Amino acid sequence: MLMHHMQLAWHCTQQEYRQPHQRLLRWVQATLMVFIVTLTLSSNTIQDYLQGNLQNLLGADAVVTQKDKLTSKQLKALARFSENVVNTLQIDATLTFNDEWQRSKLKAVGSDYPLQGQLLTATSPGSPTTATNGGPTAGNIWLDSRLISSLTLSIGDVINIGEQAFIVSRLLVHEPDRLMEGHNVSMRAMINIDDMERLAFPTDLIQHRYLVSASKSQVQQIIEWQQEQLPAAQIHHKQGAHPLALFWQRTENFLGLASIILFFMAAIAIEQIAQVHLKKEQYFSAVCMSLGVSKATGLQLSVFKWLINILMLIPVVAILSGIFHWLVVGWLSETFSEISWQLDIGLMAKTIATCVLLFAVFHSPVWLTLCKTSVAKLFHQNQKSISLGLLKICALVVLVLVAVMYSDNGLLTSMLVGSIAITIMLMVAISWTVLTLGEKATQQFSGLIPFTLFMMKQRLLSKSTQILGIGLSTFLLLFTLMLLKDLGDTMAKYQRTHDGNVMISQASQSQMKAINEWSAEHDISVRQTKPYLYAKVVKINDQTLSEFTNKPSESLTTLSKSIRLHWSKDIPNTNRLVQGEWWQEKPKNWQQISLEEEVMTDLGLSLTDKLTFIIHQQSVTFTITASHVYKPGAGSITFWVQMPQEAIQHINAPQYNMASLELKDDQWPLLSQLWKNHPTIRMISLQELTKQFDDILGMITKVISGFAVMIVLLAIIVILSAINALESKEKKKNSVIMSFGFLKTTCLQLNIIEWLITAFIIATGAIAGTYITGMLIYQSQFSLPYQPNLYILLITLAIILSTVTLLGVYASRHSLKSSVKQLMAEI
Amino acid sequence: MSCSIELKTVSQLFVNNASEKNTSTITLFENLDLSVSQGQSYAITGPSGAGKSSLLMLLSGLEKPSSGQGSFINDNHISSLDNLRSEIGFIFQQFHLLPELSALHNIALPLKLRGDKQAIKKAEHWLEKVGLSDRAKHKPSQLSGGEQQRVAIARALVFSPKFIFADEPTGNLDQHNANEIADILFACCQENNAGLIIVTHNSMLASKAQNIYSLANGELTKTKVSLINPILEQNPEKVTVKTAQVTSC
Repeated sequence: MLMHHMQLAWHCTQQEYRQPHQRLLRWVQATLMVFIVTLTLSSNTIQDYLQGNLQNLLGADAVVTQKDKLTSKQLKALARFSENVVNTLQIDATLTFNDEWQRSKLKAVGSDYPLQGQLLTATSPGSPTTATNGGPTAGNIWLDSRLISSLTLSIGDVINIGEQAFIVSRLLVHEPDRLMEGHNVSMRAMINIDDMERLAFPTDLIQHRYLVSASKSQVQQIIEWQQEQLPAAQIHHKQGAHPLALFWQRTENFLGLASIILFFMAAIAIEQIAQVHLKKEQYFSAVCMSLGVSKATGLQLSVFKWLINILMLIPVVAILSGIFHWLVVGWLSETFSEISWQLDIGLMAKTIATCVLLFAVFHSPVWLTLCKTSVAKLFHQNQKSISLGLLKICALVVLVLVAVMYSDNGLLTSMLVGSIAITIMLMVAISWTVLTLGEKATQQFSGLIPFTLFMMKQRLLSKSTQILGIGLSTFLLLFTLMLLKDLGDTMAKYQRTHDGNVMISQASQSQMKAINEWSAEHDISVRQTKPYLYAKVVKINDQTLSEFTNKPSESLTTLSKSIRLHWSKDIPNTNRLVQGEWWQEKPKNWQQISLEEEVMTDLGLSLTDKLTFIIHQQSVTFTITASHVYKPGAGSITFWVQMPQEAIQHINAPQYNMASLELKDDQWPLLSQLWKNHPTIRMISLQELTKQFDDILGMITKVISGFAVMIVLLAIIVILSAINALESKEKKKNSVIMSFGFLKTTCLQLNIIEWLITAFIIATGAIAGTYITGMLIYQSQFSLPYQPNLYILLITLAIILSTVTLLGVYASRHSLKSSVKQLMAEI
Repeated sequence: MSCSIELKTVSQLFVNNASEKNTSTITLFENLDLSVSQGQSYAITGPSGAGKSSLLMLLSGLEKPSSGQGSFINDNHISSLDNLRSEIGFIFQQFHLLPELSALHNIALPLKLRGDKQAIKKAEHWLEKVGLSDRAKHKPSQLSGGEQQRVAIARALVFSPKFIFADEPTGNLDQHNANEIADILFACCQENNAGLIIVTHNSMLASKAQNIYSLANGELTKTKVSLINPILEQNPEKVTVKTAQVTSC
């Protein structure tokens, strides 16, 4: 019997396969499943990579990193926790060969390196790699293949760093402690630790790393010791979080938000389709029952049909997700080197099963209604259905479940859900107001517009479902695009803050002197010079950073590393004071700072709050007495944190400079001379800067495009579903209008006017919703000030109006294919 | 000013695509002549599939004949049936009222579309004519079949069309309701000087028409010509009873 039912279900599925509502349902289910499966697989790949990365690429059980060399007392203390401690040094240096130069990370190791894992080298590009104990011997340098090719070097060549000559003796393939570089893709070079001392780089520019092998309990002891004795140092260990964990957490938050948005859109589409589905299934079931079949059989057939449809989708979803996952991993490999594509069939099956389960819940109102259907349904076409309310409750329950499952940020989720609720209320209010007032105002006028307003007002309930469906999709689309655009703009703002065509981001006092002399000699103009020293925030209002907040914050992450602390007597002409005083008139109070406004807002700080910095091993507490913002037009070097000029007399720390230069085309080769003598000057040319910016922008554009395609696709499906749900009613309306002696052109005109009014309500609601959501979410979650651009909003309004109207009119073309004859044919 | 519709030697054929290879042409009727005048009532009867509804579509100008010609004669001015569009109304077996609109608004619909500022007032008047003043705010789902058809009749006549085409207008109603609706329909059309063309299987309904045609085997035969009021002729008692309702039309 079951077999017969399955055969019948299969036959019915084939018959219904090409019906518009089935087609739309397949599209929405497949699109969402492909997105969710791809997202889950990609996310899992990254998690696995980070975990494996932490385990295999730490090169030690714990790594202590700090700017200064550990004192012998500190070294002794560290040795108490472990017998094996290996020291490595690293510095950013520019290597030059002939007229070529290339920035790289220059690492110095001894014969005791590596502590754990393998150091792999090769004798030439393409030759087999060998595990090597100990780094290069004195006078030798090992370079990675990218560095060799960018400087057009060969094994055996000699290059100079400062006054020292080095023989390029091997190709550096793999360092076991590369994890410490995070997602840094700088080129790599390795020398002997004794050579580093001979090079006599400024000690404060060298980063010291201590690789330690230790048991779990010893690692814990080291952590406690570091917090107490070396607050400015950073510690990474196998039990801890990956250095990229925070970055990834933010990414996951964003993806979680994206998933929720997509699920909402899919839910809206499925809800709209279900209205048509419900009627058809109910009718089919009632016909079956009138032929003596039991209610259970009707229900069984419906479940089988649904299952067959889903099963037919699964292979397509699996193949497409596999391909997309492969593409995503390929793209991610630019950021996470050594990430590889591996298909986790189990995870894929689990994710698909979860999606299917969710779709079943979305579909359950149809089955619940079938349980209540009777043959009487055939006699009472207008019988009111109890399931519409139920449909919405089911959809809401599923969405809450999804929101809980896919978001690790409760506040963000509730804000988004809250915004959606507000938008729904807004759209209902706008629909009611526009249609009621519109109808009242045009009552005394004749023509198609008053008629359309009248009809829409009369059909307010069914029309508002359509408006809500499309409106919510438009709102979600608009919000997401705005968010992505603003993120892109913010990145651009951070990146495009340099003048001149060469930017010096770090030059010591002696290096700056050399730069000035070199510039004067070659008639190169130095645009700006601003002094600073490195400082690291360790406490805010006497709380450690971890105590202060556990919310991901870009500002806090940056502050907890070394930031540039600038001093100036007057407000720099690149800044504007937004609050407080620059500086308070207390000559002895040098411990005051001005903080950039965005950082203040991001961290929720206010004037009189205190920040404790570690500056060259000294702890200094400053009070926030002012807040500033960047003022364009007078150069672009600006600092987050600034202090009074008097402060510098109280702080004993190496001082550096930021500067910008303008080089003529024929002066570029002169740079290699400067770098040859001062390899640690951090300089970047505009070309490189533009390239970096373009790379980042390219990445963001890819994300925006990919995500926008998904949302646009779902938005179109929602619009089509909403139209499909009302198609039979529209068709009938058009036929009836034609039976009054009107032409199809009149129906088309009415259709266009109706869609224009609908689009106006939708656009107003979506823009208002986006504004409210922006106010709620931007500052609190993404540390972005929300400043809607009226011009962009107006353009958006025009785009939404025309797109929704065109799409609506185009998609309604079937309802215009109605005729009086069809009304006659209905018996 | 009197108008009429004329069909001259019209034929209607359609291609039957039974399968991709086998296509055949089915002839509904050939070389058929028919003339209908404003103010007169016509009934077209015949078996299912004879082509009655197709003939109705040709008369209303909504479909073109496979061959032959249809024309609209308005005060001796002959034009194509396309010019008839704004002068006709329809009444259907399934009533086809818009479910979201109340009875009053359903009737006002064609007037509102024409930009008539008096739409609601006129609709109220028509609602009274068909005896449903007390049901003005009711939605179609709250009305009986007979009541729905009364609303449909009022809706079809409210904009004073010159011709009304009705396809089995009583097909969904019981005998009692069918009689009432038929009386209202004929009376209202007569009062408005509208030509009424009914397609029906119901001989009782057909007999109320002044002209009765039978369409069978592709041939149209005129079976009756009546010049006096069919209601008075066939059902004098009924008229007395229904005077209060019907005479108002």
